[in-house]
Amino acid sequence: MRRMAIMGKFRIRFSSVWSARLMAAAILLLPVTAVAAPAVEKIAKIAVFPTAPYYIYIVYESLAVFWVAILGLLVIIRMKLREIERIQALGVEKEDQDAPLLE
Amino acid sequence: MNCPRLKEWLEERYDLDGMKRLAKGKLIPEHRYDLWYYTGGITLFLFIIQFLTGMLLAFYYVPHIDFAHKSIIEIVTKLNMGWFFRSLHHWGAQLAIVFLFIHLFGTLLLKSYRKPREFVWITGFILLGISIFFGLSGYLLLWDERAFAAVRVATGGAGAFPFIGGFIKAFLRGSMDVTGDTLLRFYAFHVAILPILILGLIGLHILLVQLHGMSVPLSLQAEKRQEVPFFPNVFYRDLAVWLVVTGVLVTLAVFLPPEIGVKADPLAPPPENVKPEWYFLFLMQTLKLFPGSILGMNGETIAILLVSGAILFFFLIPFFDRKSAQGEKSPLFTWIGVIYLLYFLTMTAVGFLS
Repeated sequence: MRRMAIMGKFRIRFSSVWSARLMAAAILLLPVTAVAAPAVEKIAKIAVFPTAPYYIYIVYESLAVFWVAILGLLVIIRMKLREIERIQALGVEKEDQDAPLLE
Repeated sequence: MNCPRLKEWLEERYDLDGMKRLAKGKLIPEHRYDLWYYTGGITLFLFIIQFLTGMLLAFYYVPHIDFAHKSIIEIVTKLNMGWFFRSLHHWGAQLAIVFLFIHLFGTLLLKSYRKPREFVWITGFILLGISIFFGLSGYLLLWDERAFAAVRVATGGAGAFPFIGGFIKAFLRGSMDVTGDTLLRFYAFHVAILPILILGLIGLHILLVQLHGMSVPLSLQAEKRQEVPFFPNVFYRDLAVWLVVTGVLVTLAVFLPPEIGVKADPLAPPPENVKPEWYFLFLMQTLKLFPGSILGMNGETIAILLVSGAILFFFLIPFFDRKSAQGEKSPLFTWIGVIYLLYFLTMTAVGFLS
């Protein structure tokens, strides 16, 4: 009986102390939750871009490689075009209809 | 890649040499304004991208008011690279309309519409109109609150047109208000009706351009100028420009993926400061300039009539500009073109910033 009474007192004391502390913490946290509200909204926003850092890194890396490839192709096209224009300037690109064929 | 047997097989059946001669025989004039020639090619390239990305999105999109918004969220969040293809489709549409406007104003200011190219202008103008409707119909498919409000305003504005306004509004909406019927109707326009129309018109436009050849500005006609074959010279330059456009498009798609708003609720009030797509901003600002009532008549109806008149005049410019049709300079129509361009740019900027 005595043991139960001690336990009961402890429970009452414990619960009253902790409930008071929890109340205080909740009151203190109120402004914090108010400040954090827009953050909650942000989370609710639909992610239209990968969110994992690993995927973000892959996307940006791929974009950089893509631009390098585009620049490379542009250089190749420029070289090809110059070659075509050089041949056209020489006038040797036209097919000679009377050229003898070697069978 | 050299496949002599395949080449032989094809040559037996088709006149490949004739096609080659045709491509090499097509000459493009070179002058200081020839940069404008590329804007048409860029627009065509962007249309091709729109078709490809649109086909991919159509595999997963569900045109129903209960599932449309959710299906787009799933495309973006669950599908592999879904966000990227949706973003490409969005930015492809924006860039296509930007280049259509550049192509249009370039053609207007260089007087490329003059005789005998009146029908090239007419087909191009109708293509612009269809593209804008493409944009509007695609915007509603998202079925979020902003798209819903914007389409409600746009279709409501069409309703202010006298006599046939009510019919246009009912035809577009499919019911009294913007509902699931409107969504289904816009979906049908976006994926079936408009693509067929646009394909036919693009074909006709290109055919007419081939038939008439490239237009040279009046001021340069007297000058002695060089001509280069379309294939391979201009073809390679086109290819280079398309590559740069692809790079810009992909960069925009990666850095600025379009947002998805809250699902549309027909009973909810419209969101604050709702704006239509950028190419409707000049129209919205023009409507704002008019009071609600002018001499007892509906101000909105008068505004719509005036704007329609201005667009009709723009559409028929090749038939009004008699001087350039006769090969003479017509500064009046250059100024009209400049005024149209400045008005469009100013009103779009004001609408964007307000």
